[in-house]
Amino acid sequence: MVQYNFKKITVVPNGKDFVDIILSRTQRQTPTVVHKGYAISRLRQFYMRKVKYTQQNFHEKLSTIIEEFPRLDEIHPFYADLLHVLYNKDHYKLALGQINTARNLISKIAKDYVKLLKYGDSLYRCKSLKVAALGRMCTVIKRIGPSLAYLEQIRQHMARLPSIDPNTRTILICGYPNVGKSSFMNKITRADVDVQPYAFTTKSLFVGHTDYKYLRYQVIDTPGILDRPFEDRNIIEMCSITALAHLRAAVLFFLDISGSCGYSIAQQAALFHSIKSLFMNKPLIIVCNKTDLQPLDGISEEDRKLVTEMKTEAMKTVIGQGGEPENEEGVLLTMSTLTEDGVIAVKNAACERLLNQRVELKKKSKKMNDCRNRFHVALPKPRDQKERPPCIPQAVLEAKTKQAEEEKKRKTEKDLEEENGGAGVYSASLKKNYILASDEWKEDVLPEILDGHNVYDFIDPDILLRLEELEREEGLRQAEEEADDFEMDGEELSPEEQEALAEIRKKKNLLIQQHRMKKSTAESRPVVPRKFDTDRKFTTKRMGRQLSTLGLDPSLAINRARSKSRGRKRERSVERGEADGGDTMDIDGNQESKKLRLRSMSRSRSRSRPPITEVVPGEGLKDSAQKSYSYIETKAPVLWETFHWKDGQALRHEIKLCSGGERSFTFSIFAALMFSDIDVDLVARRLQQLLPLPKTGLPPLPQPTIPTVLKPGLLPPFPSIPNLSSAPKVTLPPLSSFP
Amino acid sequence: MRIEKCWFCSSTVYPGHGIQFVRNDAKIFRFCRSKCHKNFKMKRNPRKVKWTKAYRRLHGKDMTQDSTFEFERKRNRPERYDRNLAENTLKAIKKIDKIRSDRASDHIKNRLKTGKVQRQKEARKQLEQGIHLVKAPLALAQDSSLHLPKIKVNVSQAQTEENRPMEE
Repeated sequence: MVQYNFKKITVVPNGKDFVDIILSRTQRQTPTVVHKGYAISRLRQFYMRKVKYTQQNFHEKLSTIIEEFPRLDEIHPFYADLLHVLYNKDHYKLALGQINTARNLISKIAKDYVKLLKYGDSLYRCKSLKVAALGRMCTVIKRIGPSLAYLEQIRQHMARLPSIDPNTRTILICGYPNVGKSSFMNKITRADVDVQPYAFTTKSLFVGHTDYKYLRYQVIDTPGILDRPFEDRNIIEMCSITALAHLRAAVLFFLDISGSCGYSIAQQAALFHSIKSLFMNKPLIIVCNKTDLQPLDGISEEDRKLVTEMKTEAMKTVIGQGGEPENEEGVLLTMSTLTEDGVIAVKNAACERLLNQRVELKKKSKKMNDCRNRFHVALPKPRDQKERPPCIPQAVLEAKTKQAEEEKKRKTEKDLEEENGGAGVYSASLKKNYILASDEWKEDVLPEILDGHNVYDFIDPDILLRLEELEREEGLRQAEEEADDFEMDGEELSPEEQEALAEIRKKKNLLIQQHRMKKSTAESRPVVPRKFDTDRKFTTKRMGRQLSTLGLDPSLAINRARSKSRGRKRERSVERGEADGGDTMDIDGNQESKKLRLRSMSRSRSRSRPPITEVVPGEGLKDSAQKSYSYIETKAPVLWETFHWKDGQALRHEIKLCSGGERSFTFSIFAALMFSDIDVDLVARRLQQLLPLPKTGLPPLPQPTIPTVLKPGLLPPFPSIPNLSSAPKVTLPPLSSFP
Repeated sequence: MRIEKCWFCSSTVYPGHGIQFVRNDAKIFRFCRSKCHKNFKMKRNPRKVKWTKAYRRLHGKDMTQDSTFEFERKRNRPERYDRNLAENTLKAIKKIDKIRSDRASDHIKNRLKTGKVQRQKEARKQLEQGIHLVKAPLALAQDSSLHLPKIKVNVSQAQTEENRPMEE
């Protein structure tokens, strides 16, 4: 079924807007630049294109208008009538006709001017031709401006028309104004129609939908009809008349029993009779409304008579249709929309009547046969008269009955929940139905995690056995471990040894550190030599401490060190004398060395050294004479050089060359020699002559005698200059010969 | 609720900790903390990262094979609850744990034993060779043990007199 929808008609622009739209489009969509220097064909083409484009657009738009507006001949007569009632058929057709002519005119104009443009000889001429063409088209449109406006209005109104499907099941509600049609409509459908106390509240048709027996019914609410001759009716009433006339629907004629609509039953009856011709072939139901104000039984005799008359008319229609005389209740119904009393009954009755009528009609029509051919219910052909009902086994029947009983008896969890306080208070025990070896275990809680392990990973039926095995193994292993450990101990260091080791390591580290420091600073930084002792750390106390930590008795070393150092005070020497005890040499030797020391002031010393011939214990020599001899033996060539005879100056020179130590050493040597058996008078005398001796302190030299002991090799005779190379080696008597 | 193992460092991941990463091939990687997660994202191999259990096991630092590991196995079939079994299991877990940790520590001790022996030998040698730095040969001759020498302190008369009042 075509759904009549007038909402899809495009907007009809008014004349001015129409022109504007088309012209601007032309300007935008066609090329705009042209110069008079172009070739003439190009110019002509340019302007022709514009004219044609404009004409095409006009044609398109006007065609859409003409096509979209419905043609009254081609639509359902209901709509045709409705549109006629609303908008006047003639005007409508005229307007559309004008649009059509406009379209044709514009085509003609375009054609003509294109023909002219073909022969335009200059830009100006072509341009003016184009201007003329467009101008004429626009005037045409301007002339049909009012039609366009009219059509636009119609379009807007049509869009608001209710979409009534003329072919479907429809229920039509009619009657005088204010009888309760719209309120009934509101009750049975979802339509929200205005219900007001004044007449003609409903000014046009309203559609609602309702359902009955799985089918959808249209319910059409009409404006009230007054009892007037046909010609005098206004548009609004004509709407409802049209609907009544053309729609194949069930008609509900509303009757206001109470008369509160302002019209008496007589008037309403009169209306009924005047339009009863419209109720031909339509299931008619007379509905007495507003029974809450006035029940049907309470009306006057005359009214009752009128009503009965109407009923008979309605009955006629019934009889006229189905052939079966309906019961009377199907024709006259009472209800009250206010109390909703009987509303549904009315609706049902109307729907039922309509449905029956439609089915009847369909049955009679050819289509029905086509449908019927498609249905077929297959039944097995009975071969004898024996009854064969369906066979249900006894057990199933019993089970069914039992289940039914159980359903009633069993207490559900929901009931339990409700008993114990409802959903928020009671929580069902999920462990209730567990199947376990003992029922006491049902509520047991087993921890899932223990000490960083998952308990479920350890569960095993024979865990005890395995555990026992494991423990046995462990016992064995432990015993082995102990045995092993026992063997191991014994090689450890004792605590004292560990102490010693720690000390050793410390000392080693210290040495390494010092060495590294020394190594790194040796070339870069000048270091104060140790003998200056700027930090005053080389003291005897320190030495004593160090020696005692090494396990030695430091007292001896301290004494020695102190005795060796230069005395600062007189008391010191006295002390030392006391302290020395038995560990000293000959007193003379001591004294002598002291004298010699005092003598050697020609050269200042920061520290005085003992004479070379002084015996130091530990060297392995017995006395100073021995020491002197040893020196002579080792240093004889040097001595020789010192004393070789040249002229005095040379000798002196030579003597000066040797260090002070050598000189004093020579003295001490000779002093020693003097006190031994070796006679070195001559030597001494000579030395006296040669060397500047200090006046004091020297011992008196004995008279010089030519030494007989001295071998001729020791000293050459005067005054020959010895030849060094020929000088034989000095051979002294061996030291062991001396006491 | 299950305790899982971190994929990277193999430590235990308690519920509510760490991050789980599911790769497109549906393999799940669980991490105990962002350190492991970030290491994983850097594509580091846990077998090469020193502080992980995987490294330690691979390089023999920790115990790898032991019968105590057999006790803890993920079982997919649930057992029917039995109170006695549950009790025994809980007690057993503690014992097994103790045994396992003992064995692990023994393993480490054994591993370190050779080093210890070597160090002791070295120490002894060092002591013997270096005793001359702390003990004079004279002292060593007198007392041939390898201990530090006793320091002799001179006690003067004055000191003994001072002590007397105390003795009284």
